[in-house]
Amino acid sequence: MVVDWSDVAKAGAWGGLLALERRAFLQAMLSRPLVAATGMGLLLGEPETGLYIGMLLELFHLGSAALGAALPENETLAATGTTAASACMATGEGGGGTAALWAVALLLFAALGVVGRRVDRRLEHVSARLADRALELADAGELERAVRLHGYGPWPYVAAFGLLTAGCALAGFLLSPVVYALPLAVLRGLAWAFPAMACVAAALAARSSHAQRGGLWATLAGAAVVLFTVAYAWVER
Amino acid sequence: MIVSTSTIPRPIRWRVFRRSLFLQASWNPKGMQNLGLAWALYPGLVWLYPDPRVRREAVQRHLQPFNTHPYVAAAIVGGVLFHEERIARGEEGPERVQAFKRALMGPLAALGDGFFWLSLKPAAGALCCALVPLLHEWAALLFVVLYNTVHLALRIKLFRLGVHLGDRLVEGIAEERLPTWGARLRAVAAACAGGIAAWLALRFGTQQGGWEGYLLAAGCLGLGGLSYGLVAKGVPTYVLLVVAGFLAGAAGAFL
Repeated sequence: MVVDWSDVAKAGAWGGLLALERRAFLQAMLSRPLVAATGMGLLLGEPETGLYIGMLLELFHLGSAALGAALPENETLAATGTTAASACMATGEGGGGTAALWAVALLLFAALGVVGRRVDRRLEHVSARLADRALELADAGELERAVRLHGYGPWPYVAAFGLLTAGCALAGFLLSPVVYALPLAVLRGLAWAFPAMACVAAALAARSSHAQRGGLWATLAGAAVVLFTVAYAWVER
Repeated sequence: MIVSTSTIPRPIRWRVFRRSLFLQASWNPKGMQNLGLAWALYPGLVWLYPDPRVRREAVQRHLQPFNTHPYVAAAIVGGVLFHEERIARGEEGPERVQAFKRALMGPLAALGDGFFWLSLKPAAGALCCALVPLLHEWAALLFVVLYNTVHLALRIKLFRLGVHLGDRLVEGIAEERLPTWGARLRAVAAACAGGIAAWLALRFGTQQGGWEGYLLAAGCLGLGGLSYGLVAKGVPTYVLLVVAGFLAGAAGAFL
């Protein structure tokens, strides 16, 4: 097992950058799992790993939203951390991404969204102190300095989530020999686990879409895909 | 067609709009988006109030607690400029701008949450996940383009409505029929989720091959259907995900 520190640094930089986008600027959905994980996969030379983990986590977190002052799970950390770990597990032993590795990473790291929410909650207090200080400065007539404090808000998030994502990449490298030493039957089982988890995530997405008759739409679309695939296979024979 | 009534120069209005894109950067539980709002408005307030004492009062009124949906906030930021212009000309008192913010931030937050967070985002996300089999990595790029074409166009339009119509921006927003579009988008999200579930089951089943492939595909679809029912009964989503993983894993390892 060889730790590629440039991959760890790249993972941390991407994780930090997305924390900035998610928290502060534009909120153009670059931090959604499908985009965040695909970007991480491309950066670490494992695009398929990023794409499939991103797709699964996008579906799993499809209905999550910051409504009012409520904080949702941090789906960005879940996506970047899981992808970084999975990609580094693959490259640590010189192999490529497989459904079994994606499943291991998901089982170990997908709940990072909950950890991310806790970190978000703690860092809000830093922003609260900035806002208090801005009020004091505005009272003292230092308006420029008061409003400029706004720009300091996102940086603790960039640092925290950058470090956490880099930690996931490092964990991926460290876990790599353990995962590759698993018996073949277990790896085969893990390869089955990935599509099962993806189908569950898609079902949860259909439920969390809040669509009227969402179950009906999902069933009809699923049935159409099955029929089309069966018909296509029949014709190809 | 919106007729411009603002005397604030266009570059300053554009600067305020650009700064409103950072509205959430210092979100905090006490004042929420207050510091972000004051920072966004600051170039406009500097232009409107050359007297530092009056300017300070203007900044302080926007350091009061404020919270709304970050995209739809563009309408309020524009509307605040509309009112501040009138306050600077002595046509209305400062209480009007506070009343404007208080009256609109709640309803607009609900509208923004309903359309952007609970309709457009799931629909764009599910559609692009469903297109992964065809577009591969490009599906992620398509997601960003699709979502932001709608998001940025609406954000710019809402800001212009606020700047030029003030309190009447509500009429302009009503014309967009966002709730109707939201309902359609949610149906798209549900259909795409069902489609991609079926594709995943078939793809990995085919890869496995033989009778085990049929078993895997059917098992995946069955677990998906079961999860759809169980989550409605309050079973935590992580439990469903992990249990599905272990069940399929055990089947794969021992069959």
